Amino acid sequence: MKRYRLLVIALGGLVLVLLGLLMFGNLNSNLVYYLTPQEALTKKAEFTEGRRFQLGGFVRANSVVRAPDGLRFVVATGTSPESPSIPVLHRGAPAQLFQSGIGVVLEGSWRGARFVSDTMLIKHDENYAPPQSGGEQR
Amino acid sequence: MSTLVPAAGWVGSFLGVAASLALAWTGFRAQYKPGALRRNQLVVPVWCMVAGAALSMLALEIALLTDNFAVSYVAETHSRDTSWLFTITTAWSALGGSIVLWALVLAGYTAVVLRGVRTTDDRLGVGALGVMGIVAAFFFGLVTTVANPFRILINPPPNGPGPNPLLQENILVAFHPPMLYLGFVGFTVPFAFAMSALLIRQGGIDWLRRTRRANLVAWSFLTGATFLGAWWAYEVLGWGGYWAWDPVENAALLPWLTGTAFIHSAAVQIKRGMLQAWNFVLVLATFALTILGTFLTRSGVVSSVHSFTESGVGPAFLGLLLVVLVAGFGLFAARGERLASLSRPESLASREGAFLVNNLLLSLFAFVVLTGTVYPIVVEALTGNQVSVGRPFFDRMAVPLGFGLLLAMGVGPILPYRHAAPGVVWQRLRYPLVVASLTAAVLVAAGARSPGLVAVVFLATVIVGSTLRQLAVSMPQRSLPGFLRLVRGQRAYWGGQLAHLGVAGVVVVIAVTGAFGERSTVTLQRGEATEFAGYQVTFEATQEYSAPNREVTEPRISFRDDGTVAHVATPRVSSFRNQEQAVGTPSVWSGPTQDVYVSLADLQPDQVTLNLYRYPLMVWMWVAGAVMAAGGLWALGFGRRRSQGSDGRHAERSDEVVSRA
Repeated sequence: MKRYRLLVIALGGLVLVLLGLLMFGNLNSNLVYYLTPQEALTKKAEFTEGRRFQLGGFVRANSVVRAPDGLRFVVATGTSPESPSIPVLHRGAPAQLFQSGIGVVLEGSWRGARFVSDTMLIKHDENYAPPQSGGEQR
Repeated sequence: MSTLVPAAGWVGSFLGVAASLALAWTGFRAQYKPGALRRNQLVVPVWCMVAGAALSMLALEIALLTDNFAVSYVAETHSRDTSWLFTITTAWSALGGSIVLWALVLAGYTAVVLRGVRTTDDRLGVGALGVMGIVAAFFFGLVTTVANPFRILINPPPNGPGPNPLLQENILVAFHPPMLYLGFVGFTVPFAFAMSALLIRQGGIDWLRRTRRANLVAWSFLTGATFLGAWWAYEVLGWGGYWAWDPVENAALLPWLTGTAFIHSAAVQIKRGMLQAWNFVLVLATFALTILGTFLTRSGVVSSVHSFTESGVGPAFLGLLLVVLVAGFGLFAARGERLASLSRPESLASREGAFLVNNLLLSLFAFVVLTGTVYPIVVEALTGNQVSVGRPFFDRMAVPLGFGLLLAMGVGPILPYRHAAPGVVWQRLRYPLVVASLTAAVLVAAGARSPGLVAVVFLATVIVGSTLRQLAVSMPQRSLPGFLRLVRGQRAYWGGQLAHLGVAGVVVVIAVTGAFGERSTVTLQRGEATEFAGYQVTFEATQEYSAPNREVTEPRISFRDDGTVAHVATPRVSSFRNQEQAVGTPSVWSGPTQDVYVSLADLQPDQVTLNLYRYPLMVWMWVAGAVMAAGGLWALGFGRRRSQGSDGRHAERSDEVVSRA
């Protein structure tokens, strides 16, 4: 009985250690930081080319251009023309009713001075309400 | 007059608070002094709870249906031109109303528990009622304080914003939240019985037997609600998927995982007397996770740690969660060691061994999802950085766990208890393995190149094959009456097998849509055509029309097959009169072999940009989900209320049949 218990505990411990390694290794590689364009510009050195993060902001009015390689537009921290902004190339599916002025969350990485994204979502809170434009997101 | 209805709502919720406190008092008092009280001292508070909750819910619906904008909830969530159907569903579209619904469902479950408590000498039962009284007091208390929907406005607005546009698109919002609450709240019953059993130091299987029905009802509703929620997301949100490992979705999945584990481990304890302490842990965890899930979805903590203190609801739920965890595990630590079962599995190659594997995998799964869901909140609270855990984390963890579960599901139900002789196992698995190998070979020959897909289909075929073989060999005679007698005779076993068939269907659909799903984004001028999924897709024209509460713009997209129009898809944009944000609704063309899904990315007078998706077999996901829930309900056995204790005999008999094969 004693030996059996020892064996079970040892095996259980091993499983947990393996799971922990797998999980936290996986977790850390999948942690995606969420930055506003302002934060993304100030932390540009930290997020080297290819390191994925989420960029959240407002699509600047009249900046959307459809190009052969995807959608090009500008995402800004706020809705005023002076707020910090980043040019974006989006290659994935555009979100439903993508248009100027809406708040979006993009996931991708820097490529030079441009942010290249492959997923786009419109942020919902628990009531599935997109953020009100004009206010600060999140 | 306009204040009479909210006043009734107030009265109902205060009656609920008083009644649940009274029930907690009399329940525990009866537990400590058996026979000191009359049964009516329990009956009256329970029925007052039911009456109070029903009165509150009714008052809320009447206030909504009569456009009573003097009531705060109505002013915040309703508008005059919302259709009557979505006016009714508005009652659970926001916080205050959903807590009222929660209290109503909880009062209903309490009344059902009361039916099983025949005398006040039933110490386990009266204690469980006491625990339910405490929980109900919390929810009624929320209705009267921080989540109060009945505040009366001095200057009522002439009209309100109306419910969220996304909640006015699809009839599923009428069913998903009530079903979800029937599931979530139902897990209060096993929790209450477990606490009561710990309080009177009563181990054994009495509390499991008495909560089996509530547990299965809760599980079936939660299963159905989870699939309805996924279906709603698929039909309404327009991103082309149904599951995103979003905190809101995980909130429902977490108690489902531990609740599923509990159904299985309860079966082991009833049959073999094992896992006694573990069952207490699972029940506690399941209940705590329903509270955590509600906290995550209703407090706003997911979108920002700082926003959750803006209303009192977040802290209240967090407080309840802490109380449940501290009181529950404290009680378990104080009383649990005497309840630990002494029997150990003789061999891992046995039915109880497979149950152990299932429990381990489901618990790990829950642990993984919990970590991925809560981790960003912890990081933000500690460092201020906003992070999210990417979908690949969940996918990568879920896939191996899912395969392990499928394997246990294919082999477990045909293993005998105690010890499985290899010969017996081989005999029972031979044909299913052959059929599964052939199916996998056909799939590969047909051009499936994804090893994951082939493995899923192989395992799903094993599950279906071994279930069908088991049916065939245990039928008394090969006829419909014989079949019915068999599956009616051992509802617990065959209900479980039916649910397993549903799971097999779900994973096959997940794998197939993942492997063969197609997506394309196209921009079309009016009259222009493109090819997608074998159809010629043309942007024909745009229609505009007005509904009472919205302006709708609807491009017509025709799908031609050899020149004849097979389908016209109408994804639409709705602008609601009192909401600034327009809402898009995808158009889903479901058929038995494939779904074609059209959502609007951009709409201009003579040009549309469409996201087109094609998913083979998608519609079977919802069918398989319904089969899973039906399996849980089948295991209940409707119509015949069995006396207590016969369930055990039932399971005994089913085992004999399975061993005979």
